[in-house]
Amino acid sequence: MTIVSGKAEARRPLQSGRSDVLRKMWEHRADYAYVLPAIAVMLVVIAYPIYYTIELSFFNTPPGLQLRDKIFVGFNNYTAILTSGVFWQVTFNTLIWTAASTFFSFVLGFAAALALHRDFIGRGVLRAILIIPWVISAVAASYIWKWIYHSDFGIIGAVLVELGWAERPPNFIDSVSTVLPSLIVVNIWREFPFAMIMMTAGLQTVPEQLLRAAKVDGANAWQRFWHVTFPHLRNVSTVTILLLAVANFNSFIIPWIMTGGGPSNASHIWITHIYELAFGRQRWGVAAAYSVLLFLILMTLGYFYVRALSSNERKEGNA
Amino acid sequence: MSTIAETASRDQIRRRQRVDGWRWAGRLFLVFMLLYTALPMVWMLSTSIKSGFAAMQFSPQLWPDQPTLASYQKLLDPQNSVGQDFLRFFWNSLIVSTATTILSVIVAVPAAYAFSRFTFPGRNFLFFAVLLRNMFPAVIFLVPLFILMRAIGLVNTHGSLVLTYLTFGLPLAIWLLKGFYDNIPVQLEQAARIDGATRFQAFMLIVMPLSTPGIIATAIYSFIGAWNEYIYAYTFLSKNEQLTLPVGIQRFFSENTTDFPGLMAASFMMSVPVVVLFLLLQRYFVRALTEGAVKH
Repeated sequence: MTIVSGKAEARRPLQSGRSDVLRKMWEHRADYAYVLPAIAVMLVVIAYPIYYTIELSFFNTPPGLQLRDKIFVGFNNYTAILTSGVFWQVTFNTLIWTAASTFFSFVLGFAAALALHRDFIGRGVLRAILIIPWVISAVAASYIWKWIYHSDFGIIGAVLVELGWAERPPNFIDSVSTVLPSLIVVNIWREFPFAMIMMTAGLQTVPEQLLRAAKVDGANAWQRFWHVTFPHLRNVSTVTILLLAVANFNSFIIPWIMTGGGPSNASHIWITHIYELAFGRQRWGVAAAYSVLLFLILMTLGYFYVRALSSNERKEGNA
Repeated sequence: MSTIAETASRDQIRRRQRVDGWRWAGRLFLVFMLLYTALPMVWMLSTSIKSGFAAMQFSPQLWPDQPTLASYQKLLDPQNSVGQDFLRFFWNSLIVSTATTILSVIVAVPAAYAFSRFTFPGRNFLFFAVLLRNMFPAVIFLVPLFILMRAIGLVNTHGSLVLTYLTFGLPLAIWLLKGFYDNIPVQLEQAARIDGATRFQAFMLIVMPLSTPGIIATAIYSFIGAWNEYIYAYTFLSKNEQLTLPVGIQRFFSENTTDFPGLMAASFMMSVPVVVLFLLLQRYFVRALTEGAVKH
């Protein structure tokens, strides 16, 4: 196919812009049939919701009113959000949650991938065990950790008391100061295997000869890692970190099931807050405005994601 | 002469010591990670075979004196109302996940093939538009999708979940598969075409078999994603007999807040199918990532 289209382009050199594009589209009309199902599903499930959310963000929807009777309020929802104290608290929580989860998941996952790179007895089993938290459902993970953190019968509290480090079991997830770090530990538990898988796959692409050559030239383990392995993994690392950051920014299940955002908003992040505004308090308009702000942030992240991916593509083209 | 040899061997010894230092750090780290990963799961298992009374004991027994399978029996007993619910949720999850998986493969394979082989206008734009889907959280789509599903009469059906889940799986599926097709030489297909095969035959007979690992990886990813999904199922389904496992378990245990052995047993059984599936097929998954997504 590439050959055929290459010929067609060669035969008719580029003419004026628009008609050329249309003609090309027509020539390739059969190709679109392959992507049509995917695009159609995406359009229905994505484009329409995005349009609807943007529209709704300019309306007020008092509780008890039918959604179609909404009242146009212009940018009021946006100004209300940006001037509320809860917004800044939730944003702060989200930043901490996203940054800490992403950083530790990536570092632990990368280190685990490196430590498991050299073959030893039981490596396969160990790798499999480390991946399990990523595979099981976040709902199950939330319940397991909720039980571990339980303020009366939790195992961590019991161990701390047993060791004499605490008078009575600490309230990990019922106290404002410890709830967010406690939830981040759970999130890292679930996410580091993803970084590990990605980096394991990445490590397999590092050419063995280069490492051997560096060794012959007298580079030590750290130098070999820093000057050979790491540069090879730069793209994988970027993509992994971005995917982790987006996933963490969008997390919902762990905070929702474990604390529901409490106590006093200390573990509310953007998504749980939006969910509560929409489904808990029926404030659809404000929730939609929040979602639009979220879009803007995510589009910025998305720009870097696409750029990281397309730099991958370009390299492939050269290879 | 001897001095050179001495310095060389001393150098070697020093280097070996340094390498050993890294290796020991690696081992220690792996032990730490093993504990971090496995202890919560061990604690889940240990709690699930306790009696309700033993679970609420202070200080807790790490492993119960009198292990009991009562919680599992209760969940798997079709005579009991708890068991009935659990088995129904399990069955619902299985149906939804299987349907999602099959449809994902059917939709993703041609799309990935086209993105890999054809150069139609808008190809890059469409490809990245598909990938961008991954950027947006489910919550943003909840309200409009709920309204949409109501409009096309899918609320409170498993169809609404399958249609929605399809779109989470697709971006990664297409991305993984495209990498695979990029690696299969076009010449193979061209040879088949010259021998008189249609493009479809060339695709089915040459490309499909070579991309099996990618398709398996795609299928695993879709299945696990659908099996574990919570938010949409929580919002779209309200009838008890249609709930999938994650929502079903949550509903059930918000009513029985102290039955921790039952909760842990249910969490364990909910995890078994996806963990087994993944462990059996993880080879393909890592390979698909290596050859597809991560390749330079």
